[in-house]
Amino acid sequence: MTENDLQPAPAAAATARSKSGPRGRVIVFGSWCKGCRLCVDFCPKHVLALDENDHPYPANPEACNACRWCETHCPDLAIVVKPVQ
Amino acid sequence: MTLKLMQGNEAVAMGALAAGCRFYAGYPITPSTEIAEVLSRQLPKLGGKFIQMEDEIASMAAIIGASIGGLKSMTATSGPGFSLMQENLGYAVMTETPCVVANVQRLGPSTGQPTSASQGDVMQARWGTHGDHPIIALSPTSVPQAFDLTVTAFNFSEKYRTPVILLLDEVIGHMRERFDMPDFENVQRVERLGVNVPPEWYKPYGDSVSDVPPMANFGDGYRYHVTGLFHDPMGYPTQRLDEIEAWIQRVNRKIERNLDEIILTEADGLEGAQTVVVAYGATVRSARHAVKLARQRRHKVGLLSLLTIWPFAEAEVARLAQNCRRIVVPEMNLGQLALEVERVAGRSKVRRVNLANGEMIHPQMILEAIEAH
Amino acid sequence: MSRLEQHSAYNYLRHTKKFPNVWCAGCGIGIVMGALIRAIDHLELDQNDVALVSGIGCTGRMPVYMDFNTMHTTHGRALAFATGLKLAQPRLKVIVIMGDGDALAIGGNHFLHAARRNMDLTAIVVNNAIYGMTGGQYSPTTPIDLRATTAPYGNVEPPIPVGELAIAAGAAFVARGTVYHAVELDRLIAQAIQKEGFSLVEAVSYCHTTLGRINKLGTAGDMMNTIKNNSVTLSAAEKMSEEDRQAKIVRGVLRDVERPGYLRLYDQVIERAIAQEASHAG
Repeated sequence: MTENDLQPAPAAAATARSKSGPRGRVIVFGSWCKGCRLCVDFCPKHVLALDENDHPYPANPEACNACRWCETHCPDLAIVVKPVQ
Repeated sequence: MTLKLMQGNEAVAMGALAAGCRFYAGYPITPSTEIAEVLSRQLPKLGGKFIQMEDEIASMAAIIGASIGGLKSMTATSGPGFSLMQENLGYAVMTETPCVVANVQRLGPSTGQPTSASQGDVMQARWGTHGDHPIIALSPTSVPQAFDLTVTAFNFSEKYRTPVILLLDEVIGHMRERFDMPDFENVQRVERLGVNVPPEWYKPYGDSVSDVPPMANFGDGYRYHVTGLFHDPMGYPTQRLDEIEAWIQRVNRKIERNLDEIILTEADGLEGAQTVVVAYGATVRSARHAVKLARQRRHKVGLLSLLTIWPFAEAEVARLAQNCRRIVVPEMNLGQLALEVERVAGRSKVRRVNLANGEMIHPQMILEAIEAH
Repeated sequence: MSRLEQHSAYNYLRHTKKFPNVWCAGCGIGIVMGALIRAIDHLELDQNDVALVSGIGCTGRMPVYMDFNTMHTTHGRALAFATGLKLAQPRLKVIVIMGDGDALAIGGNHFLHAARRNMDLTAIVVNNAIYGMTGGQYSPTTPIDLRATTAPYGNVEPPIPVGELAIAAGAAFVARGTVYHAVELDRLIAQAIQKEGFSLVEAVSYCHTTLGRINKLGTAGDMMNTIKNNSVTLSAAEKMSEEDRQAKIVRGVLRDVERPGYLRLYDQVIERAIAQEASHAG
């Protein structure tokens, strides 16, 4: 699966729990995040949204499939995705 | 000891090897190319490395990289190349990286007259790179001294963690002279101050007692940062005025507090001299002859030969100025170090002897200045 | 950061250095830094044996954040500094981080000769097609007709093809990735680091703060999308017409040949010199 195939899923389906396969928990290290919103814009499962401080937080934590796009593209290394058993 | 008839440039190369130089990066340029040619042959024999870079800018960069990698390193050039090296020379000053830059001066400006001698880069050696900075520059007056001052240049650069400029002129660089070259193992070498704390305590630019921080080499397990930006004791960029000020004071102080060791001169008949000739480089050879002639004519003349050009021998010249009537300053330029002598001794006391056409200054010209009313 | 599980990146950062990093919010250089750290992590390199050398510009500020032997040198000259460092300490993996102006304008001469010599270095050129640090002047890779603070009427200078230039100069390994394909990028960097001789990875990035704003190319996210939609893999590109391919960012390994690195060749010089000396003495 190359990144080009990561087409953003339609918003409605995103909130459904990803039944099988890996799941992750997104941790944002607030004081390093500059609110550039790349993670929010490009998360294929729409897990993240901006809070009142324009900082991302996992609005749909259940949808995360631990693809780690956010972690590998955060310009400030401010995101860690922990695999969930 | 091995008795040789050796060229000045070759003596510089041999002095570098004797001092422990194991890396040379340079670019061909008359009249210094022989230094590169000799080292390209000799360095590999000692497991050292020679590389001819694509230009002088790259050459200056490469010797700094090699020095940070732990090798004593050197480049050699002449005016046009020396001009290209200035920015990275400043980087060596800012990062306190030991290295030696030989500038075999030729008649400038610009392409000038490549095979003719000159001492026209004296002020460039002092102020060539931008910004206030200390520098050490040495200038040999003979082939044996070219060897000795090259060793001294390396020792000063390692001891004070600074680039040292060897200011030769084409005469010294290309002439050949008898030279009883010492065995290298008998040559006194100074090594950079090593680190004696574990990596996690190491501050690459920590305030050390001697103002010269111990230096770890990349690859020794001390992972530190080197930058041309002003930096704090950890080597990280800083804009804090107190840290910038501290660096400026320390780096200037590490030279200023050691002038008695750094400023090398040779005195000949200075005590009681009514006229003192202050000279450096190849011009010292003309001055010696002129002084001899003057003494034959009953003049009380002394000769102060400056082996260290920068820092300027201010204290010594000031002392001489009090006891003599006239100071004669012959230079193969239109008056550069003379400006320093005049600043210290007063203009009225100084008589310049200048020739900037590529010829050596004839002793007769100096004699006339000594005898002029 | 006790709350965070040990994240491989944090093992490689200098915790005595102030974070977050100095780049604009959303800047691709931070993504390249992440890819570089992952590449070094994959290869399980000893941190003592890694040296990062950068020039001047936004990319120049990258090495200081990472816990390796790091040098921030002068504009355009990183490859020359790195050449000296590598020759003095062959054990070090020396990785040179540059911007497009840094590597190809003022640094072009050193770029050519490091590649020609097949000097044992890995060069990472973060290509955002602008001088960002100084506020948006056009660079040797700025596309024609785009505007910049020094090209108010549109840039008329055709951009340099970074990869092709390195190939022509003789580099043993040349690859191109993008900051959108960050995981692919770290694989390419890891491959480059392992390669003997001169290896180049061009990391196509963007600058939304200067080039983007001046030319109304949108936010960091918009420019990231443009890269995503505008790039193809090497295999896909080979099926395209020359004209179509010109408009695309072609990703992948563009060159991978076996050429002896400079160090191997100079070690042979040392052997020859010592042998000659011995035969004379004998």
